[in-house]
Amino acid sequence: MSGIDRRSFFRIVAASGAATAAAGCGPTAEKLYPYVSPPENIVPGVAAYFATVCRECPAGCGVLAKNREGRVIKLEGNPDHPVNGGGLCIRGHAALQGLYHPDRFRGAVVDGKFAPWESAEKILADKLGALARAKQGGKIALVTGLETGSLARLLDEWAKALGARPRIAYEPLGLEAIRAANRASFGRDAVPEYAIEEAGYLVSFGADFLETWLSPVGYAAAFAKMHAFSGGKAGTFVHVEPRLSMTGANADEWVRNAPGTEGPLALAMLKVIVDEGLVAPGVDARALAGAVQGVDVAAVATQSGVPADTIKRVAHALGASKTGLVLGGGAAVSGTNATDMLQAINLLNVAIGAVGKRVRFGGETVRPGTYADMLALTQAMAKGEIEVLILGDVNPVYAMPPKAGFAEALAKVPMVVSLANRPSETTAKAHLVLPALHWLESWGDQVAEAGVVGLMQPAMGPVEMGGKPVDGKSVGDILLSVGRQALGLAAEPGKGPLQTPTFGDFVKAEWAAIAKDQAKGRPFAEFWEESLRHGGSWRETPAPAPALRPEALRVKAEPARLEGDGTYALLVFPSARFYDGRGADRAWLQEAPDTMTQVTWDGWVEIPAETAKRLGVARGDLVALTSPHGRVELPAYPVETLHPGAVAVATGQGHAYPGAYAQARGLNTGANPVALLGAVPEASSGALPYLGVKVTLARGAGRRSLAIPQGTFDQDHREIAQHIGLGAARELELRGKPPEHASHPSMYPPVKYPDHRWGMTVDLDRCTGCEACVVACVTENNVPVVGKEQVAYGRDQHWLRLERWEEGPAARPENIFLPMFCQHCGVAPCEPVCPVYAAYHTRDGLNGQVYNRCVGTRYCGNNCPYHVRRFNWFYYHWPSPLDLQLNPDVTVRQLGVMEKCTMCVQRIIEGKDHARDAGRRVKDGEIRTACQQTCPTQAISFGDLKDDKSEVAKLSRSARGYHVLEELGTRPAVTYLKKVVREGSGKPAAGGHKA
Amino acid sequence: MSVRTEPGTVTWADVNRDVERTVGMPGNTYFAWMCVVALTLAAGVVAWTYQIYTGMGAAGKRTPQMWAMYITTFVFWIGIGHAGTLISAVLYLFRAKWRTSIYRGAEAMTVFAVMTAGLFPLIHAGRMWFAYWLTPYPNQRYLWPNFKSPLVWDVFAISTYLTISVVFFLVGLVPDIAALRDRSTGIKKKVYTVMAMGWEGSDTQWKHYRRGYGLLAALATPLVLSVHSVVSFDFAMALVPGWHSTLFAPFFVDGAIFSGFAMVLVLIIPMRYYFNWYPYITDKHLDAMAKLTLTTSLVLTYFYACEVFTAWYSGDHFERASVFAKATKQYAWAYWTMYFCNSVVPLILFWKKARTNTVILYVVSILVLIGMWFERFNIIVPGLAHDFYPYTWGTYVPTITDSTIIVGSFAWFFILFLGFIRVMPSLSIVEVKEVLPHPLKHARHGGGH
Repeated sequence: MSGIDRRSFFRIVAASGAATAAAGCGPTAEKLYPYVSPPENIVPGVAAYFATVCRECPAGCGVLAKNREGRVIKLEGNPDHPVNGGGLCIRGHAALQGLYHPDRFRGAVVDGKFAPWESAEKILADKLGALARAKQGGKIALVTGLETGSLARLLDEWAKALGARPRIAYEPLGLEAIRAANRASFGRDAVPEYAIEEAGYLVSFGADFLETWLSPVGYAAAFAKMHAFSGGKAGTFVHVEPRLSMTGANADEWVRNAPGTEGPLALAMLKVIVDEGLVAPGVDARALAGAVQGVDVAAVATQSGVPADTIKRVAHALGASKTGLVLGGGAAVSGTNATDMLQAINLLNVAIGAVGKRVRFGGETVRPGTYADMLALTQAMAKGEIEVLILGDVNPVYAMPPKAGFAEALAKVPMVVSLANRPSETTAKAHLVLPALHWLESWGDQVAEAGVVGLMQPAMGPVEMGGKPVDGKSVGDILLSVGRQALGLAAEPGKGPLQTPTFGDFVKAEWAAIAKDQAKGRPFAEFWEESLRHGGSWRETPAPAPALRPEALRVKAEPARLEGDGTYALLVFPSARFYDGRGADRAWLQEAPDTMTQVTWDGWVEIPAETAKRLGVARGDLVALTSPHGRVELPAYPVETLHPGAVAVATGQGHAYPGAYAQARGLNTGANPVALLGAVPEASSGALPYLGVKVTLARGAGRRSLAIPQGTFDQDHREIAQHIGLGAARELELRGKPPEHASHPSMYPPVKYPDHRWGMTVDLDRCTGCEACVVACVTENNVPVVGKEQVAYGRDQHWLRLERWEEGPAARPENIFLPMFCQHCGVAPCEPVCPVYAAYHTRDGLNGQVYNRCVGTRYCGNNCPYHVRRFNWFYYHWPSPLDLQLNPDVTVRQLGVMEKCTMCVQRIIEGKDHARDAGRRVKDGEIRTACQQTCPTQAISFGDLKDDKSEVAKLSRSARGYHVLEELGTRPAVTYLKKVVREGSGKPAAGGHKA
Repeated sequence: MSVRTEPGTVTWADVNRDVERTVGMPGNTYFAWMCVVALTLAAGVVAWTYQIYTGMGAAGKRTPQMWAMYITTFVFWIGIGHAGTLISAVLYLFRAKWRTSIYRGAEAMTVFAVMTAGLFPLIHAGRMWFAYWLTPYPNQRYLWPNFKSPLVWDVFAISTYLTISVVFFLVGLVPDIAALRDRSTGIKKKVYTVMAMGWEGSDTQWKHYRRGYGLLAALATPLVLSVHSVVSFDFAMALVPGWHSTLFAPFFVDGAIFSGFAMVLVLIIPMRYYFNWYPYITDKHLDAMAKLTLTTSLVLTYFYACEVFTAWYSGDHFERASVFAKATKQYAWAYWTMYFCNSVVPLILFWKKARTNTVILYVVSILVLIGMWFERFNIIVPGLAHDFYPYTWGTYVPTITDSTIIVGSFAWFFILFLGFIRVMPSLSIVEVKEVLPHPLKHARHGGGH
């Protein structure tokens, strides 16, 4: 026999064959390992949902984490949760990019090097133990984000056991002044709930409640309830702010005031109400009259730049409405007088009888500490009083003004420990990083508001990076373990502090206490399970109206003092995308355009258009802002709407993330406006005055183009986003839609839809422009991130884009937000031009796109009048472990093919399968698209247009309904409902549009 | 360079000698040009390879300018390919004698231009490796192309045109190749033998040849109109403002002939100089070509006027905005370049001296080619830059990759053409002889004296 036998021959053939195959295809073939023993609750191909609480901001929205094969692939709002009622914001969705962040710590880091977890923990425990034994616990400081549930109790217990300083719950956008004002007005150190949904007339003094203020998702839903046109009725919303924010753009009247004059304006309005005798019955009008004795409306008008007529008109309408509500105190308008302003607003709410009805003080809730507390800690650190500083998932090095000296003080602390799981400016300075697990991997709970306790459970095991799960524990577990080691305790449940074995047990034990209150006699196990399934437990709490303290009537009416001798007040406004900066390391948020400017990927400074003209500055030219405290350089974004005496910069960007991914992806873009702020807190509240300095403006060197996907905000009379006056809308509602006269002759027989004709409606009157749908779509449909350069060049891959259109005068435009995605035309221009039937019409009325068949002629992309088709210009990558987030039900598209919105066809198929298995037709509302599901205001509906009784069919017959570019005869399956605008009050008339 | 032969004195023997001379061993100038062209082509190939590897993003396309320079250049080359057939087939049928000395070059230009144009659908496709899906071929999945799509019509129109032009070209070559065959040796002889298809010049052969050639000419003639009409449907059938117009078919055909004539002039003027073909390509020929160029230019100007007028008169907001944007927005320079090159510059040809001055004629032709390239560019790029949806309005910027590929396509054309003129008779021996006085008749006549 020759030297080769049959077996070796096969081996060689198999090996070379495999080698050829592996070399032949670009990306290396993945290995598939079967489960040795299949995990419980995981059925391949079937999603498991875990109810938990979103921790991306303090609002505490309930979320359902969709888990497929052991990985969370999407977050959805928990429809049962009283805070958000099924909606979820842009930041909530992007939490997944924090979970799967490629720079996430894989384990403990000691002095910049990875170290075994146990030894890292021991370093901390030894140090803590030594301090505790030496009775020097006061040298231990603990700073976390806002924790309101079991973890807060554990943390405090821990601090007590070790004798550490009281813990600081640090929230950069803590809105401390609201509590301070309520303390002063009502003796209540609390943030009330605002029943926006019950208001008929809403006035907001800079409260960006549709973006970041307190609970943006819940308030957006409430706002839609009060404001959206329904049954001939619609509430009125007036927004007072020097800058036209997204919230302001949703107002029926935006009142532009001089920066810092909200307090005087509120008092002036109060005066009008008192003078006109509009004070609500049962309120001591005499006392209020005393409070506004010295207020001169005309003087306030001059001071604030708001015409006296406007003040009077708004005040009158507010007082006369009987269901008025006043909000105030967004970070952007919180200056040195924030507490005074909010006290004035409290008085207004008292005067119109809103307190106790629409402003509800329920039970006490835990609220964050203040910026002043952080400042005190900084001073202690600088003095060397702190030996061990433990920082939770907070980033004070970034969020505190450099003048506060936190970074310098940090250098004086012998041991800085960070529990953050992703690298940040603060972790870069930490000696020890014990990365806590992500909140989606942890137990916990969160008291969102009085009576509402959300329960958090791990929705998946720790993320796998580089082939093995990240090394980490939840914050609670880290502290339990470290605390026990430091104090030499053993885990003996019930024996004392820190002796619960795990934090999960601790939560459960805490819930046993909640059960006593809320289980209503049911066994704990049942209550626990139900709470897990629902995502928490909630009950109505009584909200008695607090009495006004007599001292509260002495309110100062001074505008905010601005430091520095610059010419422009600096408005630092909270970013709806990055919040206080914690969202900036997520590429999804960087790539989602800012609603008002449509800027992606970079920071910018909004400057008044006339200033830009004077300085000869165009969009993208670098501009230097100099305050007494610092200097930043940013690309200019001239706006017509901004107060001429102000410039505005959003919070959240200008990071120095040390991670490799962050640097390669360009997440360190923009500039941090906090660098321009002074370090002195507002006296009464201890808050950082975000409105506190004046800056000088100068041309910087060169330019840095901004990546703005929207070519123009002017629709050029194309009636893409349409609006209608309130009166006309009422009339239409009564008369119904005028019959259509247009005929659509065709050489082809009409398309028949035997089973379904899927369609959508978008109510522009409900859309607030929050962009949640954009990121929900990205998450659901594996839409890649392309980066600044590509977005700037018009190659963003978003299937759904949120357009902002301006109508009327540039200085006070009517803004209409319009989500645009594939219109699934009945007579689709994309279909006949495709030479290979890759674009085709399904029997359910969808414009299908067969990726495998697509040759990439891009003819469909040219011929689509809406330009919603996206081409795969490159191979797009999901750096590990971001790829774990990909939805296994949606194809990841290949280079050179066309893609677009599918109306979440994977969800349609799933819904149809369910119905078929159950032997019935698909029920209306059973299938929900990702964008529809997340929309806080429920502006989007989806369903079967063939089913006359479906919500979508009813809405698409609405008298306000129209199709975008209807005259082209494409017969879209998506109907838009015109935005309803209020005539008068300086608004453009709805004329010129098809009514 | 040999001594300039005076026109009107050539004999049949001169023709044979002058044409055979062109297929001999070329000089240094020729090799230098070949090198330049080959290197440019190589750069184009590298650029294309890079584009295939990285994706279409390497070219400057964006949403909504999903078509840009590739389709521009594709339409440009298809247009160039028109003049050849017009000269060889249509003028043949009309018995225009002046065509004889230029038609061979024009025909070769046609074939090579279509071969160049044919590359662009491949270069343009996002997944060029599946471009064959556009052809109807039997397959077990019963998948057919979409016959509603103008791109599928393109496939048929262009492949038909290429087939007919190649056949027409090769058939026209037969008697000349036979003449070369008889005088050559070695490998050349073998190739010529195959291509001459056994031509002996017998009376029967001539009879059949004449009839066959006439029929092919008749077959090719409608293609002159159809091919560019079909190519124009790529635009006319689409919805984009400025594209969706019934004007497009004649507009494109005229433009194609216009640019084709310019290209013929660009090719034959240097050929006449280098090959010393003054007796064959006389000022009369140039004059005739220039007149046709002028005529087509005037017709084109009329179409331009129609386009603008229709946009205005339609009252359609999108059409008006599109024209207005083309003339005034970021691409205005391209728009006015087009008008200048296509409508203004050719007006100089009203002047007889300009029609026979090779320098003027050459400059005019080059400008016309530039203008015609920009005409297609203006339809595609600025047209898409300002269509229905203002959100996506924006500017397309060419990249090094797509520019190199475009330049490479010219190199591809010229490498084919340069190769051709050295191995094939680029002047038709047979047809030139036809218009010369018959030597035997002449001899007999002379002998009578």
